[in-house]
Amino acid sequence: MDPIRTYLGRLLLEEITPVVMVITTPLAEEACQKNGFSFVDMLLPFSLFPRIDVPVRTASDQPYRLQMFKLRLFHASNIRKQNYEAAEEHLKRVISDLNEKNPPDLLSEPPQLDTALTKSESDLCPGWIKTFNKELIRTVSFSEHESFDHPVACILVASSKDEEPINKFTDLFNMDQTPPLLNEGVMDPKMLKHYVLLHDNQDGSTENAASIFAEMRGTFGQYDCKMLCINSLREGDENNNEVMWLPYRNYGILDHGKTCCLNTDDLNQIREFMQDLTCNHIIPYMEQKIRILNQQVSTTRKGFRNQIKNLWWRKGKDDMPEAPDGPMYTFSSVESQIRLLGDYAFMLRDYELALSNYRLLSTDYKLDKAWKRYAGVQEMCALSYFMLDQSRKEAEYCMENAFATYLKVGSLAQRNATRCGLWWAEMLKARGQYKEASSVYTRVSNEEPTLHAAIMLEQASCCYLLSRPPMLRKYGFHLILAGNRYYMSDQKQHAIRAYRNALFVYRDNSWSYINDHVHFNIGRWYGSLGSLDVAIKHVLEILACGHQSQPTQNLFLNEFFHFVQSAGKRFDVHKLRLPTINMSSFKVIHEDHRTYASAADFDMQESVWRDLEEEMTPTASAPRANWLDTHPKSSLKTYDHCVCVAGEVVRVEIELKNPLQIPIPISGISLMCELSGNSDASTLDNGAASFAVDESTGHTESPVNRLMDGDDSSFNLSKHDLVLGGGETKRVKLKVTPKVEGILKIVGVRWTLSESVVGYRYFEVNTKKKTKAKKGARISSGKNLTLIVIKGISKLEGRIDGLPAKAFMGDLQLLNLKLRNTSESAVKNIKMKINHPRYLIPGNSRETDLSIPQCLGEKNAHEEERYNLTDNKDTYKNLLFSFSESNVVQGGETFSWPIWFHCGTPGKVSLLISIYYEMENSTSGMTYRTLRMHHILEVLPSLDASFVISPCPSKLKEYLVRMDIVNRASSESFSLHQLSCVGDKWAISTLPSCTDITSVQTVLAGQALSCFFKIQDLNGVTEGECTGHRSNMLMGTEGSREQLFDISKSPLIDFHYQERHHQDKLAKVSESLLDFILISKAIGSNFESEAGSSHQLLSHHMCHCSVTRKSLISWRMSVPYTIYHDFSSSICEVELHVDVLNCSPNQVNVQVSTFDYTPDTTENPSSDWSGASSLSTKQSGWSDISLENDIRVMSSPKKVQKYHKSTSESAPPFVWCGSSAIQLSLEPACAARVPLKVCVFAPGTYNLSNYELRWKDVEGLSGSSAGQGHPFYLTVLEGPHGKVTPV
Amino acid sequence: MIVCVAVVGHQNNPLYLESFTGGDDALKLHHIVHCSLDVIDERVNNPKRSASTLNETFLGLLYPTENYKVYGYLTNTKVKLIMVTTDLDVKDADVRSFFRKFHAAYVDAVSNPFHVPGKKITSNSFSERVGTIVKSFGHSMSL
Repeated sequence: MDPIRTYLGRLLLEEITPVVMVITTPLAEEACQKNGFSFVDMLLPFSLFPRIDVPVRTASDQPYRLQMFKLRLFHASNIRKQNYEAAEEHLKRVISDLNEKNPPDLLSEPPQLDTALTKSESDLCPGWIKTFNKELIRTVSFSEHESFDHPVACILVASSKDEEPINKFTDLFNMDQTPPLLNEGVMDPKMLKHYVLLHDNQDGSTENAASIFAEMRGTFGQYDCKMLCINSLREGDENNNEVMWLPYRNYGILDHGKTCCLNTDDLNQIREFMQDLTCNHIIPYMEQKIRILNQQVSTTRKGFRNQIKNLWWRKGKDDMPEAPDGPMYTFSSVESQIRLLGDYAFMLRDYELALSNYRLLSTDYKLDKAWKRYAGVQEMCALSYFMLDQSRKEAEYCMENAFATYLKVGSLAQRNATRCGLWWAEMLKARGQYKEASSVYTRVSNEEPTLHAAIMLEQASCCYLLSRPPMLRKYGFHLILAGNRYYMSDQKQHAIRAYRNALFVYRDNSWSYINDHVHFNIGRWYGSLGSLDVAIKHVLEILACGHQSQPTQNLFLNEFFHFVQSAGKRFDVHKLRLPTINMSSFKVIHEDHRTYASAADFDMQESVWRDLEEEMTPTASAPRANWLDTHPKSSLKTYDHCVCVAGEVVRVEIELKNPLQIPIPISGISLMCELSGNSDASTLDNGAASFAVDESTGHTESPVNRLMDGDDSSFNLSKHDLVLGGGETKRVKLKVTPKVEGILKIVGVRWTLSESVVGYRYFEVNTKKKTKAKKGARISSGKNLTLIVIKGISKLEGRIDGLPAKAFMGDLQLLNLKLRNTSESAVKNIKMKINHPRYLIPGNSRETDLSIPQCLGEKNAHEEERYNLTDNKDTYKNLLFSFSESNVVQGGETFSWPIWFHCGTPGKVSLLISIYYEMENSTSGMTYRTLRMHHILEVLPSLDASFVISPCPSKLKEYLVRMDIVNRASSESFSLHQLSCVGDKWAISTLPSCTDITSVQTVLAGQALSCFFKIQDLNGVTEGECTGHRSNMLMGTEGSREQLFDISKSPLIDFHYQERHHQDKLAKVSESLLDFILISKAIGSNFESEAGSSHQLLSHHMCHCSVTRKSLISWRMSVPYTIYHDFSSSICEVELHVDVLNCSPNQVNVQVSTFDYTPDTTENPSSDWSGASSLSTKQSGWSDISLENDIRVMSSPKKVQKYHKSTSESAPPFVWCGSSAIQLSLEPACAARVPLKVCVFAPGTYNLSNYELRWKDVEGLSGSSAGQGHPFYLTVLEGPHGKVTPV
Repeated sequence: MIVCVAVVGHQNNPLYLESFTGGDDALKLHHIVHCSLDVIDERVNNPKRSASTLNETFLGLLYPTENYKVYGYLTNTKVKLIMVTTDLDVKDADVRSFFRKFHAAYVDAVSNPFHVPGKKITSNSFSERVGTIVKSFGHSMSL
């Protein structure tokens, strides 16, 4: 890297150059002012020599050539140290001048990340900053501790009009015009002098001037004098020599409106003069001076002896007091001379020589504690190192040292520190150490007033961006700091610029606090500068600042509304962030052939409805053979999803959320729609495409105006006003009602915030994300925003009156389904389908006027036809009900139909009802529609009854029933009303001993009780026998006037079938005996007050109750207990029966066998019992079994023998007759009567238990088993024949 | 005294930032934390990291600002834990143990099944726990 090619290198070559002091007479100055500039200004363009190419030889013998050279010309009055205030003023003026010339570009888009990274340094850092840096450095020129600003030469200028010009020249140098530093002895007054006689050609010929010039040459020497002729331009001559001064415009030259009077000859003369001055006078003078000084320094300071001497001498000065600037050094002191030598060497680019002198000097100054000078020398050391491109570390160390030392010196050297810092930073930048450079800038910024600090910080930020890898966050941070300082020093435009450049750092990175701060301040500053549009744009970014505190939110909002009001016009803002719109909640609800009773019904999945309506609706089209087989003709079918009907409302639901804690009023929320009157399918696509293009071309033309006026008769829009509280979310239902056929496009939504700002937002049409967010197939494609509007057709509206949201289990109500035809034309062929016929069953038209519970009463039980509910599965799943053909609902009419409602099991149930109807006169291709009703029902638990049935021990066809009732309701009490067995086969009655049970009327909440009943199987019993047996039993108090309900009537029986079906699934037992229906009433209803609590009936269906029994077979001997027989005539033959009942589900083979001995176990009790009975009955003529011996004689010897073997004590005085074993086969649930016969020989009581049943399951599942006969006592008395006393 | 602790996600998004000064300097602390991410990036991506420091989670002093010292810690999931303190002489061991506790608290907070990874940590118990850790740090310092 060539140091000269770097920015710092060029800067040093331009800034550290020999100074030439210019002293002019007033007349000479006046001549120059004709052109609008001073004499110094006139020479300015010629003081820079880009290609001078002069050989130079300094201390060493080796000459080298200088390529580029520059002189700095100053008028003597300017060669003075600026005081601080003046410098500040000057800098402020510089900044404002620069601002005027290069106003910051505030209206373009702020930079983006990728563009910012590719920018070069000059693009990043505005050019005027460099200029400012130079100016800042120049404010510390002509300091006493540095000698490169000390004039090398002096040009004395007198005009040819001056009187006694020779004297003037001598006077000039001795006058007060000379700089104070010169007078104070800091500068060497012995300098190269050059005398110039200025002749104005407009004042006459050069003759006079020439004579003066000749005199000058005589006085001051041949070579040190020069005559310049200027202003030789005649009137009318064309020239453009002003161009020469154009680069120097910044210095205020040529701004006075005067024309340049110099012609080309003049310019050439000046150029020659300057060239001559530089090459032939200044540079040789400097060379010579360097050589002289070098020799002096060598003799006094170089060498071992001199060093010792110097050290000793320095030490002697230790006790002297420490002045703030260190000791005073005059130009003649050795230190000053070394410094001068170093500076001259530096200016002539002999950096080696300069460096060696600076280093020599720095130790001296350090020992002298002359810190400012020390720092200055260190600074120059560093620069020399840099220019030599040697030892970077040394250079940096020197710079740091210089900077720190300057800071140590304090306020006097603060600006020097700044200059040092700037050089240091430039040096680091030249080496690519941007990060270090930026930290230097930051350090500098701490020492400078705010405005300068801002500029430094901005440069620091640039460095962070340029460092590799770029440190974006630091870049942003320093820009923010800079912007803040710009703002503090009242430079709003620069503040905005800085903040804007930082914007991209914080965008999309959720550092919202910072982002908000940046946007808010940009907005505020733009607002104060009057750019309200941009201000509003920035404040809009931060409106949805839910994370900020409430005061901050208030501040943002207020500021925003303030801007909007000051702007005084209506703003249409795309994607206004207040309120937040939850697009995933977005839903379009339109009704095609599917209509809905209420908007909430849309939440159901389409497939559920489709399943329900499967049989009811005609199939849309024949199933396709394969996917290639399309139906191009049916265009309407293709857009099956997006058809709506003219005159019917299309609803759009959308969620609005207020992210702030402040309530915001929103008014006029409405949709933006387009309705084109062309319903061709092809234009639909085109339309969608053209719209997409329209949207992508940008939102410069606000569509609000175009789309907002919905009053153009083609469609109606609803408008909503609401106030969203802090953090509140509301769901808004927006409506659009197309009036004519065509294509309706729902474009977006718009709203007005606080009545000042109109926000609008498009619904994204083709985003995949939205498709995902939709539920179900209904709103699956983005095309749903485009709807085909077809001609208005009939529509039914339906509701069910009095359908409760909560009901107790078992609740039975008669409801009314009301269908209203809102359109003109009639509808016909109405069908209805219900998903849960367990809960809802359509009634009969005659029941419309009836009221519950009268219609259920037995009294009204005239024979009427019930709906034949076929016992197939579909009946239980979905119930299809067709209204009769005659039911045509005319336009505007209301049609009612009774519907029975009954609650099944507790829990939540969603009831779906779909009503199908056809148009009377359909013209629009839509022949039918469906009305879908959805109701969510919560069923609360109420009475819970369970039954335990056990066979009656005494009778085969009777059973004992225990009913356990628990009231599971939380607070409701119920009164029991009626218990019924389903079917004609059963009779129910109370047990004689516990009739009081039926008087239990109410079951309180949580109460449990048990009741006992008897039921009788009437199967096989003739009509006459079962009189007095009812299948229903009233459970209220006896004699109450409560009526019984006929359970065999609709709807109870219908619901019973449903219940039976459902309980069938749950029932585990394979064998079911009978079903019960328990009817109860609710008392003191707590929440269903509107339902008419006094008549609220509940019916509970307990199906598939079964008998708990131990064996497969039950049997009973049925015979008269007491027989009178005339034993005198014959022995008594008694016919007996054993009834055998098969209780198992399988066929059973049964064998009944008899034997003639009594088992031991039963003997003793039997005799006891017979004794007891004889006492109680007190029958006369009864005798004991004393005659048994006679009887035994008559019996068959075999049996007697057998009996004899077993029991010697007593033998039964009877024998079994007929076959001793009877075999029979019983079908399931069948009973059979086995005839038996016994012969009794004497009166007495006999235990007929000596028989046995053996049975075997045919299927072999339960195996075989046997049972002993039950004890059965037969009493035979002496008496007239045929008299039988039944028990 | 610790003035601020922060958790920054692996995409440099702030997950949690708590200031303990009680003053209205949230913005400043946001800036400081945000800036220190640059230093973390630089440190982590420095190819000259030796093997011993490669697995080190504690990043040490990130940078001293005028009044603060910023320390950093990098978890295995590239979540950055940042601490800003006003103490000028802080022992490294103290900071290390602070970060260990802080990390444990963070791990517990994100183990909550209701926490959405990559979203801000809103758990109150986490804030409380961090508050105690911060207090105990100041306490041990004063001892």
